[in-house]
Amino acid sequence: MQMSEPSPIVLVVDDEIQIRRFLRTGFELNGFVVHEAGTGAEAIRSATLRPIDLLIADLGLPDMDGADVVERIRSWSTVPIIVLSVRSSEAEKVRLLELGADDYVVKPFGMAELLARVRVALRRQMRAASGEPTVTVGPLTIDLAVRAVTLNDKRLTLTPKEYRLLQVLAQHAGNVVTHQHLLKEVWGSIHVHDTHYLRIFVRKLRQKIEPNADSPKILVTELGVGYRLAHSAGDSEAATSPVAAKTAS
Amino acid sequence: MPATLIFDRIRKELPGIGMTLALVGGLTLLIYGIIRETGLEHGSVVYLIPVVIAATRWGIVSSVVAAICGVLASAFFFYEPLYSFRITDPLEVLNLLLFIFVAVVVSQLATRLKRQLEMARQREIGLRDLYAFSRRLAMSFDVSDIHAAIEDHLTTIMQRKVVLFAGMREAAISNGRRNTVAVPGEVLTEVSEVAGGRHDAGGTILTAASGEVWLVRAVSSKSPEFGVIAIHLGLETQEALDELRVRVDEVLADATATLERLGVAHAISEARMRSQTDQLREALIGSVSHELRTPLASILGAATVLMEAPALAKEKKLQALVLDVRNEAERLNNDIQNLLDATRISSDGIKPHVEWADPEDIINSAIERCRQRLIDRHVTLNLPPDLPLIHVDPVLVQQALVQIFDNAAKYSPSGSEIAVAARARDGRMVLSVSDQGSGLTEAESAHIWDRFVRGPRHATTTSGSGLGLWIANAFIAANGGKMNAVSEGAGLGTTVAIELPVTQAAVPQMESDADE
Repeated sequence: MQMSEPSPIVLVVDDEIQIRRFLRTGFELNGFVVHEAGTGAEAIRSATLRPIDLLIADLGLPDMDGADVVERIRSWSTVPIIVLSVRSSEAEKVRLLELGADDYVVKPFGMAELLARVRVALRRQMRAASGEPTVTVGPLTIDLAVRAVTLNDKRLTLTPKEYRLLQVLAQHAGNVVTHQHLLKEVWGSIHVHDTHYLRIFVRKLRQKIEPNADSPKILVTELGVGYRLAHSAGDSEAATSPVAAKTAS
Repeated sequence: MPATLIFDRIRKELPGIGMTLALVGGLTLLIYGIIRETGLEHGSVVYLIPVVIAATRWGIVSSVVAAICGVLASAFFFYEPLYSFRITDPLEVLNLLLFIFVAVVVSQLATRLKRQLEMARQREIGLRDLYAFSRRLAMSFDVSDIHAAIEDHLTTIMQRKVVLFAGMREAAISNGRRNTVAVPGEVLTEVSEVAGGRHDAGGTILTAASGEVWLVRAVSSKSPEFGVIAIHLGLETQEALDELRVRVDEVLADATATLERLGVAHAISEARMRSQTDQLREALIGSVSHELRTPLASILGAATVLMEAPALAKEKKLQALVLDVRNEAERLNNDIQNLLDATRISSDGIKPHVEWADPEDIINSAIERCRQRLIDRHVTLNLPPDLPLIHVDPVLVQQALVQIFDNAAKYSPSGSEIAVAARARDGRMVLSVSDQGSGLTEAESAHIWDRFVRGPRHATTTSGSGLGLWIANAFIAANGGKMNAVSEGAGLGTTVAIELPVTQAAVPQMESDADE
């Protein structure tokens, strides 16, 4: 991460010292300043004492539930929070996202994967602070100020609901947005359980915005959780995908 | 009161006697006509017919009535003097005596035959019951199965509502309702008293507030494993109750003898032990897997940090070692995940979180999850437009697909094609994965869905636990689907297909398709 601004400060909360150690090394190698906390109470104290740019929180803490840490910190801070979760608990991921976590990484994870999420979260924070109105994902550009969507510089015509869906995703570009949140924002709270609305709309939207709708690279599904507007920081993940799509029969 | 009993029996015989009288009357008319026309003699022999019929159909009383009526009718209609019960010819008197003797013997024989037939049928039903019961016992896996079998068996032979309680605890938690039979509270209290050994196991008859009469007793006073039964006796008189109680004692004595012969007590305690062992094993696997995963997260994370470390950038050999650490840690993680999944499956822990899902999304995210393993395979996608949505747990289906991809990558050469297709057909959604790998022999096809089974062809060359397809199959079954694998033979590739139900009619309509 080359930036002219001062190094971002990340607070790592995990009770496992080995995990903290590799995270510290990994982050420091990538130009971050690292603070550590081994318990939830320590994390909350640390977050109030010193300004931080990012919080990485493990869910299994000895003194309190990681979800409580997220909730407590979110109550007074907008700092990006990334949660380290275990697999096979989609419901828990959804709950954490709704409590205010920005994203999650499933344990065990590689440093590159975590860094990608971190960069996305930091960039979103920066964009929110600067009021930057456009979001670019590969060939797709969404201008939130003038409500315009272009694909390869060609203006797309979207229905109001399609635009609204894309807008909510763009506001969280790179981060996962839960089904419930999308349904509430686009269709209203009474439809928060009508996942099929989303499925059908996402299909239509992909036809318009994806170069190849069969293997989407822009509007990505997080199974059981929600959707993510792929907003990888520069590294083109799409290129490494093994899929060579055939034309549909 | 014997008088009422005799009256009862007579009332029971009345229809038979009525039929017999009608039969004798009809026959007399017929024979009378024939004898008048032809002049035949010794018509009395013909009356053996109603005797035999009555004996076989309605029992001894009716057959005796038939014999008496036959004698009377013969005397009246066929012996001199006609139309009088007097008989003048001594030879004919002898004839009639002979008839009476034969009639009595025949009716005796016929009744005995009938009774034996009845008994044989009863015994056959009993045997069939017993056979079904012992077969159920043989198939019972846990204690509750065995108890259900005992309960049904007793219900069949008692012809009454029977509720069996395995023990005190069950009486307390069953809350008075089981098998749609409502058991009054008083009865439950008594059941737990008997099960706790505080009351006599020999049985108590009690009348519930509703007026229902129940008998509560231990199934066997010797083997408490058999539990306590409550039998709904209905609303009966005291005499009938005593009679019923004797019958219950008999049936239970029989049943416990059977239970002991079949080794049910042993089976019950064995099943208890087995379930405890299972629980212990699952708990052990669960906690061990969890404990193994925690250090793995550190190993894997540290390896990925090392891979990027500038100090190692020029050390290709060391980098290769780090890559090995990472890959092996990932493999170990997959194995542990499989163990955890298997534990979840066998402890009945799969609870699908169903939602409307797009099959395309499931396939794409499965491919994404396997990106590393599929990196040098040529993956092709064949997804027709307008695939219906499916109502499943997308994560479970994805994990099943991941297992299939994993297998396809493991058993096919690098650079070969893996074709993924989806199609909706006859209310089913079929997701299929075809590889150009080592295929399946017939013997292998038969066992690929079994747990811990690995083909001997690959056992030494390719690593694996033999859990993958078993897990995939369990996950798909939890979603109401099924899997199958087809191969032309060894070396000719394999196509594994997942079939899931598409409930087309149930796809809810959007309130506004054209968004306003």
